[in-house]
Amino acid sequence: MAVLLPFALFIAIFLAWPTLTVFWQALTPKGSFSLDSLLRAVSGPYRSSFVNSVELSGVSAILGGIIGTLLALVVRDFASRRPKTLALLNSWSSVASQLGGVPLAFAFIALIGNQGILTKLLLGVGFDIKGTGFSLSGFWGLVFVYLYFQIPLMFLVMFPAIGGLRRSWEEAAQLMGASSWTYWRRVGGPVLLPAFLGGVVLLFVNAFAAYATAYVLDSGGQLVPLQVRFVLQGNVISGEQDLGYALVAWTILLLLLCLVAVTVLQRRTVKWTQS
Amino acid sequence: MASVHLAGIRKTFGSSVALESLDLEIASGEMVCLLGPSGCGKTTALRILAGFERPDAGRVVVEGTDITELPPQKRGFGMVFQDYSLFPNLTARDNVEFGLSIRKVDKAKRAASVDRLMEITRLTEHAAKYPHQMSGGQKQRVALARALATEPRVLLLDEPLSALDAKVRESLRVEIRRIQQETGVTTLFVTHDQHEAMAVADRVGVMEEGRLVQIDPPQVIYSRPATPFVAQFVGTVNTLAAQRDPSTGAWSVLGAPAEVVGMGQVDPAGASSVVVRPEQLQLTGGHGSPGTITSVSFLGAITRVGIQVEGAEVVADLMAGSVGTVAVGDRVTVAVRTDAGPVVAATR
Amino acid sequence: MSKFLRGLFLAVIALYFIGPQLAMARFAFQSIPTPLLTWDRIFEGWSLKALITAFGKPELWAVTRTSLMLAVLTTLVVLALLVPVAVAVEIKAPKLKPWITGVTLIPWVVPPIALVVGVAGTFRNVWPGYLVSPLAMVPFYALWAMPFTYRSLDAGLRAINARTLYEAGVSLGASPGTVLRRVLVPNLVAAVFASAGLTVALVLGEFAFASLLLKETLPTYLASYQLSSPKGGMALAFVVMILTALALHFVVRMLAKRGVEFTPGGM
Repeated sequence: MAVLLPFALFIAIFLAWPTLTVFWQALTPKGSFSLDSLLRAVSGPYRSSFVNSVELSGVSAILGGIIGTLLALVVRDFASRRPKTLALLNSWSSVASQLGGVPLAFAFIALIGNQGILTKLLLGVGFDIKGTGFSLSGFWGLVFVYLYFQIPLMFLVMFPAIGGLRRSWEEAAQLMGASSWTYWRRVGGPVLLPAFLGGVVLLFVNAFAAYATAYVLDSGGQLVPLQVRFVLQGNVISGEQDLGYALVAWTILLLLLCLVAVTVLQRRTVKWTQS
Repeated sequence: MASVHLAGIRKTFGSSVALESLDLEIASGEMVCLLGPSGCGKTTALRILAGFERPDAGRVVVEGTDITELPPQKRGFGMVFQDYSLFPNLTARDNVEFGLSIRKVDKAKRAASVDRLMEITRLTEHAAKYPHQMSGGQKQRVALARALATEPRVLLLDEPLSALDAKVRESLRVEIRRIQQETGVTTLFVTHDQHEAMAVADRVGVMEEGRLVQIDPPQVIYSRPATPFVAQFVGTVNTLAAQRDPSTGAWSVLGAPAEVVGMGQVDPAGASSVVVRPEQLQLTGGHGSPGTITSVSFLGAITRVGIQVEGAEVVADLMAGSVGTVAVGDRVTVAVRTDAGPVVAATR
Repeated sequence: MSKFLRGLFLAVIALYFIGPQLAMARFAFQSIPTPLLTWDRIFEGWSLKALITAFGKPELWAVTRTSLMLAVLTTLVVLALLVPVAVAVEIKAPKLKPWITGVTLIPWVVPPIALVVGVAGTFRNVWPGYLVSPLAMVPFYALWAMPFTYRSLDAGLRAINARTLYEAGVSLGASPGTVLRRVLVPNLVAAVFASAGLTVALVLGEFAFASLLLKETLPTYLASYQLSSPKGGMALAFVVMILTALALHFVVRMLAKRGVEFTPGGM
């Protein structure tokens, strides 16, 4: 298996080495083994950035998950009749799910930033959006922007899963006297649940690791990726560096947990849809 | 149990006609097979009976009641699908119980009837398995048990065996017939496999391009096909030239006398050819036509030989032991057996 | 769901996804500040001036060149690494497949914002010269392209029944290398294009890693240019967004014609 060698070396040098170094440094602040920085990274001000990041990712994942699933359900009804529209929607979702980053943040600033066109339009009809406390750099502002890439990603996850629901399941249930609601409650819903949960976890990771959008909208924000940047760039005070390692170590552990969850859920989905 | 009547059903999808003035009556407790190639409308007929499709014209009558407008939920039917259609998130037992739980049958009664069905379908030991842990045959038995659990007025089987291996297919069709006879449920079985249809049904309806061309007991379908299409669809046929003496009305086929009957409503008198089943041919030393053997396949109980005769290729099935060894290239005499029933005139 | 509710839902979704683009285009190409904009002036003052000014900056073309080079090199590196691995594992060692799949998923849990810390703590100390050129980021971008690239290649190989094809080719007397070159790789074109499209999109959009390593790429330039010239920044961002969208759409369409499903991003 000589062909595996370059691959293994590549992973070792560019992935394993830096990643393991992070964990090593996080566990040995100032050269000796200690849990200090790992603990410090989840306490005080850093704790709140973890809480904020988890909340932001969680809320945007759940909302994006629900809306994306609804979209896939609505689209399924006309998909077979309008294959062209479906193809367009599919490629659009592929594009939009990739559109995180700097341009997206700008687009939303132009829409409902302080000088945004929608902000002005709403003010014109007597609705002061700033007056409600809404701000793009606030929690709900970020959620609102993140949904732009979360919804299409969820659509892409759920559409094949919903396509895996056999029409004959619904028909069999109908003949046995089940209403549409009963069918969804007892068969359709449970069958989609693993795919839905897997998708939500995927969205969670997607949001947790997102940096550019948050950086443009709220560069001083209390979010893990932004804190990492602070620690990394401002390593003036000693110990800050170790704190950066600890923050990253926690992030990787959290995402690893998500990866395991997604893998388990996907396995379940595959089993069910192939039976 | 219930009698079923599909009366004057017409169904179109866009510009294509799926069913044209279909009339089908199924007696209470009877099992009828709709047989035909794919696209002949048999599945559409079944789906209209189930209530998944609305006919453009015609009525669906069950036990004398018009149910054309009744939604599937209220028809009280059971159905088995080609793709099993078991709910993947439920165990075999929960699948079978599904319909009863919807009907809010009380727990003890439910358990009793599920137990009984699991036993009838020999699933007791697989009760706790999920669909993805079962073989195709087991899954289809669960589907059958599930369809029967609600004691349906009518059982619908949509190509239930097509996804299975030959062996399982054969044993399961015997089982389906046994269970159908035990429960006495009125059944419509749709298939494209003539062996299956002939083996299980009380009557077989052959469909062609949206029309029911013949509906009769299997033996009649086979020995007295109403059209050349039916003759060819159920089994192998040879089409041979036939001569009729205008004065006596006597027929001869392959140079020997033969008994000829009409096809369907048609008087055989004008016909110039007949359809002959392979087993109605024999190799003789007496009357007949000379031919040359072109192929020999040993099939167990019979040997199938291809013979070049009168410029055409015919197929004859010979009982094992009825002839000595035959080999490709042998010159033989072929004749219609006089003891194997009449041959059927093909109207051309 | 009733027809009306479904229509309403789709309309709201459509507005949400088109709105920001329109707003960005207006801000970039209409020279009336939002506070002064009124309904009767809606068609006034449209021009491409901001974009033309932005296009006039030589720095833009320098960073575009850097980013395109990064994109091309990353695509080549990730394919050069993974095509042999995917083929070998599919044909010779299917037992290793869960492991390889697992390994190629790891970069997904070490996103740019995390790996950059490790990279700074290792390469910068041990091999300070390495991180000087922006092209030093190629291996890391290749890492993040691995999850979807491997999946896409694996799906492609399974779809063409690679093992049977390989055995058929070898039994016909072809050498393994010939089979790879003349049978397997041509059949993988769709999978390769799918992952290449996503890799390019990934590299052209990646901000965190480049920004924290202080490298000038298209995304980091966009962010800094926006600060000095808000209009020009918006105009450039708009163009980049449209171009990326068109390019990805083209890839998706091409794949659809070949009957391949597009499995984007993340996993």
